[in-house]
Amino acid sequence: MSTRRDSGVVVPQFGTRGKAWLALLGIVIVAGLAAWGYQLSRGLAVTGMDNVFSWGLYIMLFVFFIGLSAGGLIISSAPKFFHSKRYDSLAALGVLVSLGCIVVAGLLILPDLGKPSRVTGFLTSPDFRSPMVWDFGIVLLYGLFNVGYLWLLTRRDLAKMGSQLAFGVEDTPAGRERDRKLAFWAAAVAMPLAIALHSVTGWIFATQIGRGDWFNPLVAPMFIMKALVSGLALLLVTAIVVDRVTRFRMPRELVPELGKVLGIFVAVHIVYLVAAERLPHAWAANFEFWSITSAFLVGDTVHFWLWTVVGGAVPIALLAVPSWRRKVGVVFAASVAAIVGILFEGVYLIFTGYRDLNIDASPGVTTGTDYTGIGSDVWATVGSYTPTLIELLVTLGIVAVGAMIVTLGLRFLPVQPGGRKPSAVEAGETEKSDAETPPDAAVADGGYVVDGTDGDRR
Amino acid sequence: MTNYGMVIDLERCIGCHACAVSCSQENNVSLDQQWNRILTEGGDSMDTPEGKYPEDGRDGTLSMNHLPMACQHCENAPCVKVCPVNATYKRDDGIVAIDYDKCMGCRYCMSACPYNARVFNYDEPETLPAEGTGNVEQREQGVVEKCTFCSHRVEEDLDPACTVACPADARIFGDLDDEESTVSRYINKYETDQLLEELETDPNTYYVRGDMTPGRKRHGNELEGTEKKEVGNPDGVATDGGESE
Ligand code: SF4
Ligand code: SF4
Repeated sequence: MSTRRDSGVVVPQFGTRGKAWLALLGIVIVAGLAAWGYQLSRGLAVTGMDNVFSWGLYIMLFVFFIGLSAGGLIISSAPKFFHSKRYDSLAALGVLVSLGCIVVAGLLILPDLGKPSRVTGFLTSPDFRSPMVWDFGIVLLYGLFNVGYLWLLTRRDLAKMGSQLAFGVEDTPAGRERDRKLAFWAAAVAMPLAIALHSVTGWIFATQIGRGDWFNPLVAPMFIMKALVSGLALLLVTAIVVDRVTRFRMPRELVPELGKVLGIFVAVHIVYLVAAERLPHAWAANFEFWSITSAFLVGDTVHFWLWTVVGGAVPIALLAVPSWRRKVGVVFAASVAAIVGILFEGVYLIFTGYRDLNIDASPGVTTGTDYTGIGSDVWATVGSYTPTLIELLVTLGIVAVGAMIVTLGLRFLPVQPGGRKPSAVEAGETEKSDAETPPDAAVADGGYVVDGTDGDRR
Repeated sequence: MTNYGMVIDLERCIGCHACAVSCSQENNVSLDQQWNRILTEGGDSMDTPEGKYPEDGRDGTLSMNHLPMACQHCENAPCVKVCPVNATYKRDDGIVAIDYDKCMGCRYCMSACPYNARVFNYDEPETLPAEGTGNVEQREQGVVEKCTFCSHRVEEDLDPACTVACPADARIFGDLDDEESTVSRYINKYETDQLLEELETDPNTYYVRGDMTPGRKRHGNELEGTEKKEVGNPDGVATDGGESE
């Protein structure tokens, strides 16, 4: 259907690779469901959590995916708010990725609950003092907003290609004009909403007096900054991958540009905010100049190093050099490193809260998980945690749901209307959309033909 | 109004764990949990002292104390404020309680409680004998639970099980709002502190350190305020003893 092709759907149909990808996601989702079923039947005893370390992988990744959901929405809404067309080619993809991430984050709460069926309590008897109630509200709002915004950005093109998803909207010039105005207002709502989402998620932790470093007013600004870092990095990674495997075109000039922005975000986050957070503690706790300096610079756990070196030093180094920044591969690697770093920041945060007990006199706290019979040791004086296979499977399954949403979005939504130069590309793409084309050949056409600026992509 | 609280005299506590055992028994607590724990302030293991043995005629520095720990029934209870679904709430009589039919097991309250007073049923609760013990129904798997000040006993004018079980008279239970109650008088008369006071949770549990109190003699399980009120006063005399004047 030619209208379909013009309208900007980047995966006109699933080829062999596409189907294999869907099948893989399907298998992972089914495995996750099975693992969750097992967890439901045996209880949270099959996780690595206990009474001391009472939040684990699910919450760590909840925090992580909340952060990831920022990038797309901000990149697509910030320019619109300033009436700029910049990044328009990434807008719909960005919102789609945001939607996928917020769905993953929301779903991750369910397996963390001991009684998932009672989650309705959020609606039937909420306590508005609880930061988790605020977060529940804002995650829901943010998810629905993403759906609405995505539809707003694509509905005229959906109408153009005759998709049912247009829900009766017609493709008229006046209508497009009106949508542009609406998009401005949506953008005006999107940014405060995103800031609220990340701050409130930060406050879940920052309000807690009982968990060491959590009680820290910097947590909310840190959450906003890490959302910017990981969100933008994920958008870059996704755009680059989708560029390779579909007809989607990531404009080459955006790669160094967004790479630079990412570098600045990482620098502000890891170098400035982390320093601002650590220095007062290091200063107050030490006397000599060098002991202050080393307490400031040297972290104490593996997670800290993974976060600051892999997620901070490496991407900054990669993105600081202009000629490197122009290489797609380098920006890709830096983005992946930044994402990994932010993942471990979340892990680090949970560990700082649960490792030490406020009152740790022996025998400590009953773990609630270690009873095996008379004489078993059910006590712990420090928190320790290793996720179990069940937790990993459930989590992967939920992440696969997010990937499925993005994949189906690419298949059924016109994520990049007019993003390509029609005539030049069309020829190459007919070939490319052919399902049987092997990956490398697929990359070899469109991408190089589109614009001449990607010399360093070779 | 009533505002129940407890005084624990750390100088009287002999670290015998009788209160912990009777708590688990009375409340049907699973074998992998304990609502009431007796911590050792001293060496690295339970019931070991810190410091050095006296050697060669010198003074030793050995010291050891016991610290009974359970839910402190905080006035400004963070666990109540975080519970998203109002499952944890503060009763009018000051007891922090959990509605086990509402709790969805999110464990936010566990991270909120600075005292690690809360436990979660990761597993199916397991007791000996299997059908349970004591006078409280077993909680389901997947909910959080903790010390209730034996609200089921208090409602029948009985002291909590731990208070009754303590052979050293280290625990006193009563109404903090009543100036004449034994707990109030102990708090006024002796040097008491609340655990982790700097966190401003304002617990209803007070610990006596320093001077040993006379303890509270008991003739049965009655709370003060019942006809045997006179047995509980700071001087341990069976009359008011002029203490209130
Ligand atoms: S001790 Fe912990 S569980 Fe008990 S009221 Fe205080 S915060 Fe809540
Ligand atoms: S675990 Fe239960 S009692 Fe605790 S905060 Fe969650 S719903 Fe409330």
